[in-house]
Amino acid sequence: MVVTPPAGGVELSAVSPNWVTTRLDFLSNWARSNSLWPMPFGTACCAIEFMATAASRFDLARFGMERLSYSPRQADVLICAGRLPFKLAPVIRRIWDQMPQPKWSISMGACASSGGIFDNYAMVQGIDTIIPVDVYVPGCPPRPEGLVYGIMLLQKKIKGESFTDSDLRQEHLVDDAGMFLPPERVDELSEPFGNSIHQTRSG
Amino acid sequence: MTGVSPSVGALTAEFGSAILRTVVSCGDSIVYVTRERAHDILAWLKNTPGQEFDYLTDITAVDYRDPERPLEVVYQLRSLGRKADLRVKIALDGSAPLEVDSVYDLWKGADWLEREVYDMFGVSFVGHPDLRRILMWETYGEGYPLRKDFPLRGHFSRAEQVRQALAANPEAQYSLEELSLAQAMHDLPADMTERLRRGERGLVP
Amino acid sequence: MLQAYIPLLLVVAFVVVNAVIMLGLSHWLSSSRPTGVKLQPYESGMPVLGDARERFSVKFYLVAMLFIIFDIEVVFLFPWAVAFNQLPAQSGLLLVAMLIFLGVLTAGFIYAWKRGALEWS
Repeated sequence: MVVTPPAGGVELSAVSPNWVTTRLDFLSNWARSNSLWPMPFGTACCAIEFMATAASRFDLARFGMERLSYSPRQADVLICAGRLPFKLAPVIRRIWDQMPQPKWSISMGACASSGGIFDNYAMVQGIDTIIPVDVYVPGCPPRPEGLVYGIMLLQKKIKGESFTDSDLRQEHLVDDAGMFLPPERVDELSEPFGNSIHQTRSG
Repeated sequence: MTGVSPSVGALTAEFGSAILRTVVSCGDSIVYVTRERAHDILAWLKNTPGQEFDYLTDITAVDYRDPERPLEVVYQLRSLGRKADLRVKIALDGSAPLEVDSVYDLWKGADWLEREVYDMFGVSFVGHPDLRRILMWETYGEGYPLRKDFPLRGHFSRAEQVRQALAANPEAQYSLEELSLAQAMHDLPADMTERLRRGERGLVP
Repeated sequence: MLQAYIPLLLVVAFVVVNAVIMLGLSHWLSSSRPTGVKLQPYESGMPVLGDARERFSVKFYLVAMLFIIFDIEVVFLFPWAVAFNQLPAQSGLLLVAMLIFLGVLTAGFIYAWKRGALEWS
């Protein structure tokens, strides 16, 4: 294994995996997953449940997540707790872009995952049309135990990562039209489902 | 009719034919007035001793499903001293443009209330200092969402809505007040100044 | 005599090596993906208007400067007090010298007071 001194950051993913890389992976993944500093992007009711999860009964501090960061610069995981209006879409996109790697995101609640009960003109139908999402936590709002389960799933995902994986820490930027996903994919993800298909008011 | 507010009698005595009709619904008195005299009537209700409706609780509008019924602008008034409520409605039929005189000079709280009615229903308020959208972004292009002929999910496709939301020029996310302050401090980036000069604020590229 | 300083040098060396290892490892093992938007200042998700360096009032500078001067004055009092304690024979001379020093600074203090440098608003 050869690690060349960096000029500005190093492309360690060129290395082929071996025992040393797995030990280093274990170390860095253990450190990262047990100190995920969340950025609570709380917009609505799910933010209350996030506060409850962070408080004493359910306690995020045992995961190392008690230090909430309202600046994206010092945050590891963006927890979008609550519905996202279209007016707020460029804001969350910019905040996601301004988070330095390594970063993950949790979509908390039904509204952040799919638009929830708000299948209308004003709400984004799932933040995965705007930013990449690692874990979806269903619920309206999810119980604190549900959010904790989602966080533990994220920890498990992080522990499975390896720095020799070249497409891991990639920035998924918007394209020239300003879109994160191609239009067909956005339409596909925003398709009404369940009771929404019966709500075709006016027009 | 029983349970009608005494203000209604005083209104009819003062304004006569400008008071079109009166309804009592669930204990609330509702007065329908003409658009032309509406501002005078509301000013009279605010300033006359004995009426003193000094608190404007809300301004909203109603668009009925029945196409025969006109769009109504609703003013909910309250007299804090007398602990009395009154609802004043202006029916706007489709024959004239949707315009009403602003009551910003009477109640300062009407500022954002009228902006909301403009944003959601498209009713213009003549004399409002800064009539622009408040709930949707200022350059929202799909129309007036709370009208009954506006589809629930909007006119554009979801992909187009996402594209418009994400790709509006950066200066669209600031109010004109903030932009002019920044320009006075020479803080505005050159490309934003150029786009503002060309009138392309909020244009999706 | 100088052997007493060897533990200190060891501590300094350990600290330096430790810091170099921590910073170096995190620099080598990290990923760096700068993008245009990422490098812009954070403004709650809004696009940036103007510079972060704004003009601010000179009263902050005045307060800082006055603090430094009078704090150093107090700092000088400490070794003087030790010397005063250890030289009781010249106590009169030492006292007069310090009083002159304090007098000069007090004159400056009264001048600053009269000129309104202590007014915050």
